[in-house]
Amino acid sequence: MSSSDTMHFAFVRPDPLPPNGRSVAIVGAGPSGLAAAGYLASLGYEVDIYDKLPKAGGLMTFGIPSQRIPPARIQAGVLELERKYGVNFHLQTKICCSAPLHEEEGDHFSCDIRGLGELVEDHDAVIICTGSWKSRALNIPGEHLSGVYTSLQFLFPIRAAGYGKPGVTAPAVQGLDVVVIGAGHSAADVAHSALRLGARSVSICYRKTRRDAPCGLFEIDQLEAAGARFLEQHTPVRFDGEGSLAGLVCRVPHQEELVYIPAQAAATAIGEIPTPPFAKELGLENVRKGDVKWLNMTAIENVFVAGDVLTGPSKIGKAIESGLKAARSLANWLDLKAQSRQAEFQDEERVPRPSPRTSPH
Amino acid sequence: MSESPAGKVLYVDYSTCIGCETCETVCGFLHDAPRIHMTRTRDGVLVPLYCRHCEKAHCIRACHRGALARDRDGAVVLQPMLCRGCETRECTQSCPYAAMVLTNKGVAVRKCDMCSERRAIGLGPACAAMCPTGAIRFLDRCELACAETEAAKDAEKRVLAHLRPSANK
Ligand SMILES: Cc1cc2nc3c(=O)[nH]c(=O)nc-3n(C[C@H](O)[C@H](O)[C@H](O)COP(=O)(O)OP(=O)(O)OC[C@H]3O[C@@H](n4cnc5c(N)ncnc54)[C@H](O)[C@@H]3O)c2cc1C
Ligand code: SF4
Ligand code: SF4
Repeated sequence: MSSSDTMHFAFVRPDPLPPNGRSVAIVGAGPSGLAAAGYLASLGYEVDIYDKLPKAGGLMTFGIPSQRIPPARIQAGVLELERKYGVNFHLQTKICCSAPLHEEEGDHFSCDIRGLGELVEDHDAVIICTGSWKSRALNIPGEHLSGVYTSLQFLFPIRAAGYGKPGVTAPAVQGLDVVVIGAGHSAADVAHSALRLGARSVSICYRKTRRDAPCGLFEIDQLEAAGARFLEQHTPVRFDGEGSLAGLVCRVPHQEELVYIPAQAAATAIGEIPTPPFAKELGLENVRKGDVKWLNMTAIENVFVAGDVLTGPSKIGKAIESGLKAARSLANWLDLKAQSRQAEFQDEERVPRPSPRTSPH
Repeated sequence: MSESPAGKVLYVDYSTCIGCETCETVCGFLHDAPRIHMTRTRDGVLVPLYCRHCEKAHCIRACHRGALARDRDGAVVLQPMLCRGCETRECTQSCPYAAMVLTNKGVAVRKCDMCSERRAIGLGPACAAMCPTGAIRFLDRCELACAETEAAKDAEKRVLAHLRPSANK
């Protein structure tokens, strides 16, 4: 495999340093977890990385359509981490606490369940990189009709079906009228995917104007060229139908009458919210505010956190940066701790918040 | 040192770039502040602006102190030793790709050096190593022509139209 076909998560060094006797567990093998794994493995750490899904890559593998991100390049990077840097991948293993679990997309893939407490005991430190997978609800009537999906409910099975799990199939939208709500990258991805799956029509409803669309005018042009309809200033009021979806009712400005868009399938793509295991115990609110002794450290001393689970939905680049910084912070902390000098750590940086300018959702 | 067309270049295929910011954040992680910068074009497309390490580099000619020079791999590198203290910052004006930026840390400007320290130990540029799509590549200058597909040229045209609205044909 030529180097240009591989995402080099361990880019900081040409090869790993000899084992340094420390071990770190990483929960979540998305971009933030993989970047942290690469950094630490390069420095000679023994890295165990856990993911509930059958393949590493997080949303790079299970969210973003493969037309936009080449899956082979990500998997080659994962293989390099495993073979050359000795990272241990534990896939289909969900890490959780004892409290009742929320359900997110992709849960049905995990076979093994392990407790966070166990990881904390078995390793010198842990980094939580579990991303942001729970879709935000629109909170309008009819959202629970069959045929109404969230963006991840829609996109996840398309990618997952490709990874040979029986029982997972792409949404059956062939010949249907599909309406997509939102105008971020997820909305664009859903719309493109629906067209590829053979939808009869695809309408994108956005409550603001074309110019405001986070996916950008060029993307809208491309969607329209591919056959989609972009309806600006359409604010969804309710989903219509009995049992299953029949249409979407929208309000448009300066018009008394509501607009009815016939649709047998709909996807809401208005963003995701973080779903960390142990959110309260970890004191994530304080980490977000930067109110911590150590960059990216949670309320549990040797547990760190990075990526979208901390910042909310962001971008691959932001997640990678967060993973790298958490890994560096963790390594510095362990170095000083080994000499009982933790008090010397100077935290000059606050945890970055996603900026509205670059937020994709 | 004479300017030779040999050596290496950085190349971004804007038609396959997804605007994920990885190049920018990884560069910033390694070099304290990024030397490749995301910008949103008027079409709303997010792309990185980057140094092309031009064969005939305007910045090298613009700098009166000789602080910009070509290294042995063909990278245009800034020598902070000579740059320090310049107030005119003509190099930043001269760059047609908006790849040189003012900075308030250390010397007056910063620019991509194709990861000079990494090349010294046999590694390639970090941004190219971590780009999830492979849109950004570290190429021999002679490979450039093959890398420029029709789609890439179209996408590049749109980015340049954003950078130089007046030069729009
Ligand atoms: C449809 C869509 C399109 C997008 N398009 C773009 C784009 O074009 N450009 C861009 O830059 N960004 C895009 N993003 C955003 C980007 O994908 C995310 O910001 C990024 O992947 C976040 O990385 P992460 O490592 O924090 O989390 P994730 O990528 O979400 O990875 C988290 C991982 O943790 C695992 N996990 C979660 N909980 C547990 C648990 N309890 N136990 C074990 N494993 C667990 C998950 O299975 C997952 O693999 C898009 C997002 C979506 C949804
Ligand atoms: S890392 Fe690659 S895909 Fe992401 S913005 Fe940079 S060039 Fe584009
Ligand atoms: S080659 Fe190195 S210095 Fe130049 S933009 Fe990429 S990461 Fe930054």
